[in-house]
Amino acid sequence: MTGRAEPAPRRPADVGDADLPAVRAAQADPAAFDVLYRRYLDRVYGYAFYALGDHHDAEDATERTFLAALAALPSFRDEGASFRAWLFRIARNTVSNARRTRWRRRTEPMPDGFDRPAPNADPAGLVARADETRRVLRALAELPDERRQVVILRFVDGLSAREIGEVLDRSPGAARVLLHRALRDLEARLRP
Amino acid sequence: MTTRSTPERLDEAVETLLAGERPAVDAELRPLTRLADLLADVLRPMPPGPRFEADLGRRLAVEGGRRRVTPGRLLAAGALSSAAVGVTVTAWAMWRSSRRAPALSHRLLQR
Repeated sequence: MTGRAEPAPRRPADVGDADLPAVRAAQADPAAFDVLYRRYLDRVYGYAFYALGDHHDAEDATERTFLAALAALPSFRDEGASFRAWLFRIARNTVSNARRTRWRRRTEPMPDGFDRPAPNADPAGLVARADETRRVLRALAELPDERRQVVILRFVDGLSAREIGEVLDRSPGAARVLLHRALRDLEARLRP
Repeated sequence: MTTRSTPERLDEAVETLLAGERPAVDAELRPLTRLADLLADVLRPMPPGPRFEADLGRRLAVEGGRRRVTPGRLLAAGALSSAAVGVTVTAWAMWRSSRRAPALSHRLLQR
Protein backbone atom coordinates (compact mmCIF):
# COMPACT_ATOMS: atom_id res chain seq x y z
CA MET A 1 0.00 0.00 0.00
CA THR A 2 1.15 3.50 -0.61
CA GLY A 3 1.76 5.84 2.28
CA ARG A 4 0.06 9.19 2.40
CA ALA A 5 2.43 12.14 2.70
CA GLU A 6 -0.33 14.66 3.40
CA PRO A 7 -3.53 13.12 4.74
CA ALA A 8 -6.42 15.01 3.21
CA PRO A 9 -8.68 16.60 5.82
CA ARG A 10 -11.75 14.58 4.98
CA ARG A 11 -14.60 14.56 7.44
CA PRO A 12 -15.72 11.29 8.97
CA ALA A 13 -18.87 10.04 7.34
CA ASP A 14 -22.27 9.76 9.00
CA VAL A 15 -21.60 11.99 11.96
CA GLY A 16 -24.93 13.81 11.67
CA ASP A 17 -25.35 17.09 9.91
CA ALA A 18 -22.79 19.29 11.61
CA ASP A 19 -23.57 22.02 9.07
CA LEU A 20 -27.07 22.69 10.40
CA PRO A 21 -26.20 25.66 12.67
CA ALA A 22 -24.38 27.36 9.78
CA VAL A 23 -27.26 26.55 7.42
CA ARG A 24 -29.82 28.02 9.86
CA ALA A 25 -27.68 31.15 10.22
CA ALA A 26 -27.43 31.53 6.43
CA GLN A 27 -31.17 31.02 6.03
CA ALA A 28 -31.77 33.84 8.51
CA ASP A 29 -29.10 36.07 7.00
CA PRO A 30 -27.69 35.21 3.53
CA ALA A 31 -24.48 37.08 4.41
CA ALA A 32 -23.68 34.16 6.74
CA PHE A 33 -23.49 31.85 3.70
CA ASP A 34 -19.81 32.75 3.59
CA VAL A 35 -19.11 30.16 6.33
CA LEU A 36 -20.55 27.36 4.20
CA TYR A 37 -18.80 28.70 1.12
CA ARG A 38 -15.37 28.63 2.83
CA ARG A 39 -16.11 25.19 4.29
CA TYR A 40 -17.02 23.56 0.99
CA LEU A 41 -15.17 25.53 -1.68
CA ASP A 42 -12.23 23.10 -2.01
CA ARG A 43 -14.49 20.06 -2.04
CA VAL A 44 -16.93 21.39 -4.61
CA TYR A 45 -14.08 22.68 -6.75
CA GLY A 46 -12.23 19.34 -6.41
CA TYR A 47 -15.34 17.42 -7.36
CA ALA A 48 -15.88 19.64 -10.42
CA PHE A 49 -12.21 19.47 -11.38
CA TYR A 50 -11.91 15.69 -11.22
CA ALA A 51 -15.25 15.27 -12.99
CA LEU A 52 -14.51 17.80 -15.75
CA GLY A 53 -10.72 17.67 -15.95
CA ASP A 54 -10.32 21.36 -16.70
CA HIS A 55 -9.62 24.22 -14.30
CA HIS A 56 -11.73 26.78 -16.15
CA ASP A 57 -14.72 24.47 -16.46
CA ALA A 58 -14.31 23.54 -12.79
CA GLU A 59 -14.29 27.22 -11.75
CA ASP A 60 -17.38 27.87 -13.81
CA ALA A 61 -19.20 24.86 -12.34
CA THR A 62 -18.13 25.84 -8.81
CA GLU A 63 -19.45 29.37 -9.26
CA ARG A 64 -22.78 28.11 -10.62
CA THR A 65 -23.08 25.59 -7.79
CA PHE A 66 -22.61 28.13 -5.01
CA LEU A 67 -24.85 30.74 -6.62
CA ALA A 68 -27.57 28.11 -7.09
CA ALA A 69 -27.11 26.90 -3.51
CA LEU A 70 -27.40 30.46 -2.15
CA ALA A 71 -30.59 31.02 -4.16
CA ALA A 72 -32.11 27.68 -3.09
CA LEU A 73 -30.98 27.78 0.55
CA PRO A 74 -34.34 29.03 1.92
CA SER A 75 -35.92 25.83 0.57
CA PHE A 76 -33.38 23.51 2.27
CA ARG A 77 -35.09 21.45 4.96
CA ASP A 78 -33.41 19.09 7.42
CA GLU A 79 -35.45 16.07 6.40
CA GLY A 80 -32.93 13.25 6.28
CA ALA A 81 -30.59 14.60 3.60
CA SER A 82 -27.52 16.37 4.95
CA PHE A 83 -26.54 19.82 3.72
CA ARG A 84 -23.42 18.51 2.02
CA ALA A 85 -25.41 15.82 0.16
CA TRP A 86 -27.84 18.58 -0.90
CA LEU A 87 -24.95 20.80 -2.01
CA PHE A 88 -23.27 18.00 -3.97
CA ARG A 89 -26.56 17.21 -5.63
CA ILE A 90 -26.55 20.76 -6.98
CA ALA A 91 -22.87 20.34 -7.94
CA ARG A 92 -23.63 17.07 -9.69
CA ASN A 93 -26.40 18.68 -11.79
CA THR A 94 -24.13 21.62 -12.62
CA VAL A 95 -21.28 19.29 -13.60
CA SER A 96 -23.62 17.17 -15.73
CA ASN A 97 -24.76 20.30 -17.59
CA ALA A 98 -21.14 21.38 -18.04
CA ARG A 99 -20.20 17.96 -19.39
CA ARG A 100 -23.02 18.12 -21.91
CA THR A 101 -21.90 21.59 -22.99
CA ARG A 102 -18.27 20.50 -23.13
CA TRP A 103 -19.11 17.39 -25.09
CA ARG A 104 -20.42 19.72 -27.75
CA ARG A 105 -17.18 21.71 -27.58
CA ARG A 106 -15.06 18.51 -27.48
CA THR A 107 -12.12 19.56 -25.32
CA GLU A 108 -9.52 17.11 -24.04
CA PRO A 109 -10.13 15.69 -20.56
CA MET A 110 -7.73 15.44 -17.64
CA PRO A 111 -4.82 17.78 -18.24
CA ASP A 112 -1.51 17.39 -16.44
CA GLY A 113 -0.32 19.80 -13.83
CA PHE A 114 -2.00 18.72 -10.63
CA ASP A 115 0.74 16.58 -9.19
CA ARG A 116 1.97 18.29 -6.09
CA PRO A 117 5.29 16.70 -5.22
CA ALA A 118 6.51 16.73 -1.68
CA PRO A 119 9.59 18.91 -1.13
CA ASN A 120 12.90 16.99 -1.18
CA ALA A 121 11.32 14.02 -2.96
CA ASP A 122 13.71 12.07 -5.16
CA PRO A 123 13.34 12.74 -8.91
CA ALA A 124 12.85 9.07 -9.86
CA GLY A 125 10.11 8.74 -7.26
CA LEU A 126 8.47 11.92 -8.55
CA VAL A 127 8.44 10.64 -12.11
CA ALA A 128 7.00 7.29 -11.04
CA ARG A 129 4.35 9.01 -8.95
CA ALA A 130 3.43 11.42 -11.73
CA ASP A 131 3.08 8.47 -14.13
CA GLU A 132 0.94 6.59 -11.67
CA THR A 133 -1.25 9.64 -11.08
CA ARG A 134 -1.72 10.14 -14.81
CA ARG A 135 -2.60 6.49 -15.30
CA VAL A 136 -5.18 6.57 -12.49
CA LEU A 137 -6.74 9.81 -13.72
CA ARG A 138 -6.89 8.56 -17.29
CA ALA A 139 -8.58 5.34 -16.17
CA LEU A 140 -10.96 7.35 -13.98
CA ALA A 141 -11.88 9.59 -16.92
CA GLU A 142 -12.75 6.48 -18.96
CA LEU A 143 -15.17 5.10 -16.37
CA PRO A 144 -18.91 5.35 -17.09
CA ASP A 145 -20.30 8.60 -15.67
CA GLU A 146 -22.01 7.22 -12.55
CA ARG A 147 -19.04 5.05 -11.58
CA ARG A 148 -16.68 8.00 -11.97
CA GLN A 149 -19.00 10.19 -9.88
CA VAL A 150 -19.16 7.66 -7.04
CA VAL A 151 -15.35 7.39 -6.90
CA ILE A 152 -14.91 11.17 -6.85
CA LEU A 153 -17.62 11.72 -4.24
CA ARG A 154 -16.14 8.97 -2.02
CA PHE A 155 -12.44 9.76 -2.33
CA VAL A 156 -12.24 13.48 -3.07
CA ASP A 157 -15.15 14.67 -0.99
CA GLY A 158 -15.31 11.92 1.63
CA LEU A 159 -19.06 11.46 1.29
CA SER A 160 -20.52 8.37 2.97
CA ALA A 161 -22.48 5.71 1.05
CA ARG A 162 -25.69 7.20 2.46
CA GLU A 163 -24.78 10.69 1.23
CA ILE A 164 -23.67 9.39 -2.17
CA GLY A 165 -27.03 7.64 -2.40
CA GLU A 166 -28.75 10.97 -1.70
CA VAL A 167 -26.70 12.72 -4.38
CA LEU A 168 -27.23 10.02 -7.00
CA ASP A 169 -30.84 9.15 -6.10
CA ARG A 170 -29.91 5.66 -4.92
CA SER A 171 -30.20 3.73 -1.67
CA PRO A 172 -27.06 3.50 0.52
CA GLY A 173 -26.79 -0.19 -0.42
CA ALA A 174 -26.95 0.63 -4.13
CA ALA A 175 -24.27 3.30 -3.63
CA ARG A 176 -21.99 0.69 -1.99
CA VAL A 177 -22.56 -1.73 -4.85
CA LEU A 178 -21.82 1.06 -7.32
CA LEU A 179 -18.55 1.87 -5.53
CA HIS A 180 -17.58 -1.81 -5.52
CA ARG A 181 -18.25 -2.08 -9.27
CA ALA A 182 -16.44 1.18 -9.96
CA LEU A 183 -13.31 0.01 -8.12
CA ARG A 184 -13.40 -3.38 -9.84
CA ASP A 185 -13.77 -1.65 -13.21
CA LEU A 186 -10.95 0.77 -12.41
CA GLU A 187 -8.71 -2.05 -11.17
CA ALA A 188 -9.27 -3.96 -14.42
CA ARG A 189 -8.39 -0.88 -16.46
CA LEU A 190 -5.21 -0.30 -14.47
CA ARG A 191 -4.06 -3.91 -14.66
CA PRO A 192 -0.89 -4.14 -16.83
CA MET B 1 -23.95 -13.57 13.20
CA THR B 2 -24.86 -11.78 9.98
CA THR B 3 -22.62 -12.10 6.95
CA ARG B 4 -21.89 -8.76 5.39
CA SER B 5 -21.73 -8.43 1.64
CA THR B 6 -18.51 -7.64 -0.25
CA PRO B 7 -19.63 -4.06 -1.09
CA GLU B 8 -20.37 -3.45 2.60
CA ARG B 9 -16.97 -4.75 3.70
CA LEU B 10 -15.23 -2.76 0.98
CA ASP B 11 -17.07 0.40 2.00
CA GLU B 12 -15.99 -0.13 5.59
CA ALA B 13 -12.38 -0.65 4.48
CA VAL B 14 -12.52 2.57 2.44
CA GLU B 15 -13.97 4.42 5.43
CA THR B 16 -11.04 3.20 7.55
CA LEU B 17 -8.55 4.26 4.85
CA LEU B 18 -10.08 7.73 4.56
CA ALA B 19 -9.78 8.08 8.33
CA GLY B 20 -6.02 7.59 7.85
CA GLU B 21 -5.85 4.04 9.23
CA ARG B 22 -5.03 0.68 7.65
CA PRO B 23 -7.98 -1.68 7.37
CA ALA B 24 -7.69 -5.41 8.00
CA VAL B 25 -9.02 -7.12 4.88
CA ASP B 26 -9.13 -10.62 3.44
CA ALA B 27 -7.50 -11.76 0.20
CA GLU B 28 -10.65 -11.06 -1.82
CA LEU B 29 -10.68 -7.38 -0.90
CA ARG B 30 -6.93 -6.80 -0.88
CA PRO B 31 -6.50 -5.65 -4.52
CA LEU B 32 -9.45 -3.25 -4.29
CA THR B 33 -8.30 -1.91 -0.94
CA ARG B 34 -4.84 -1.32 -2.41
CA LEU B 35 -6.47 0.59 -5.25
CA ALA B 36 -8.62 2.53 -2.77
CA ASP B 37 -5.46 3.54 -0.92
CA LEU B 38 -3.92 4.72 -4.18
CA LEU B 39 -7.08 6.70 -5.02
CA ALA B 40 -7.13 8.31 -1.59
CA ASP B 41 -3.55 9.40 -2.27
CA VAL B 42 -4.06 10.61 -5.84
CA LEU B 43 -7.53 12.16 -5.58
CA ARG B 44 -6.82 14.84 -3.03
CA PRO B 45 -9.16 17.78 -2.49
CA MET B 46 -8.18 20.41 -4.99
CA PRO B 47 -8.18 24.04 -3.85
CA PRO B 48 -8.96 26.64 -6.52
CA GLY B 49 -6.78 29.70 -7.10
CA PRO B 50 -6.90 32.40 -4.40
CA ARG B 51 -8.10 34.99 -6.91
CA PHE B 52 -11.05 32.84 -7.93
CA GLU B 53 -11.86 32.18 -4.27
CA ALA B 54 -11.84 35.90 -3.47
CA ASP B 55 -13.85 36.88 -6.56
CA LEU B 56 -16.55 34.29 -5.96
CA GLY B 57 -16.63 35.18 -2.25
CA ARG B 58 -17.29 38.81 -3.17
CA ARG B 59 -19.96 37.86 -5.70
CA LEU B 60 -21.74 35.67 -3.14
CA ALA B 61 -21.57 38.49 -0.58
CA VAL B 62 -23.24 40.86 -3.06
CA GLU B 63 -25.88 38.24 -3.91
CA GLY B 64 -26.42 37.54 -0.22
CA GLY B 65 -26.84 41.26 0.48
CA ARG B 66 -29.41 41.52 -2.28
CA ARG B 67 -31.39 38.65 -0.80
CA ARG B 68 -31.26 39.94 2.76
CA VAL B 69 -34.75 40.83 4.06
CA THR B 70 -34.62 43.65 6.62
CA PRO B 71 -37.64 45.39 8.29
CA GLY B 72 -36.71 48.65 6.51
CA ARG B 73 -36.60 46.90 3.16
CA LEU B 74 -39.95 45.21 3.87
CA LEU B 75 -41.52 48.61 4.74
CA ALA B 76 -40.07 50.22 1.63
CA ALA B 77 -41.31 47.33 -0.53
CA GLY B 78 -44.77 47.59 1.05
CA ALA B 79 -44.91 51.35 0.49
CA LEU B 80 -43.77 50.99 -3.10
CA SER B 81 -46.32 48.31 -3.92
CA SER B 82 -49.13 50.33 -2.28
CA ALA B 83 -48.12 53.36 -4.33
CA ALA B 84 -47.97 51.24 -7.49
CA VAL B 85 -51.48 49.87 -6.83
CA GLY B 86 -52.80 53.40 -6.17
CA VAL B 87 -51.29 54.80 -9.37
CA THR B 88 -52.63 51.86 -11.41
CA VAL B 89 -56.18 52.17 -10.02
CA THR B 90 -56.23 55.95 -10.55
CA ALA B 91 -54.91 55.60 -14.10
CA TRP B 92 -57.51 52.95 -14.88
CA ALA B 93 -60.35 55.08 -13.43
CA MET B 94 -59.22 58.11 -15.47
CA TRP B 95 -58.99 56.01 -18.61
CA ARG B 96 -62.50 54.61 -18.04
CA SER B 97 -64.01 58.03 -17.44
CA SER B 98 -62.34 59.43 -20.55
CA ARG B 99 -63.83 56.56 -22.61
CA ARG B 100 -67.31 57.03 -21.14
CA ALA B 101 -67.51 60.79 -21.58
CA PRO B 102 -67.74 60.90 -25.41
CA ALA B 103 -70.22 58.03 -25.42
CA LEU B 104 -72.50 59.87 -22.97
CA SER B 105 -72.32 63.17 -24.88
CA HIS B 106 -72.99 61.27 -28.10
CA ARG B 107 -76.17 59.77 -26.60
CA LEU B 108 -77.32 63.21 -25.33
CA LEU B 109 -76.84 64.73 -28.75
CA GLN B 110 -78.89 62.01 -30.35
CA ARG B 111 -81.92 62.67 -28.13
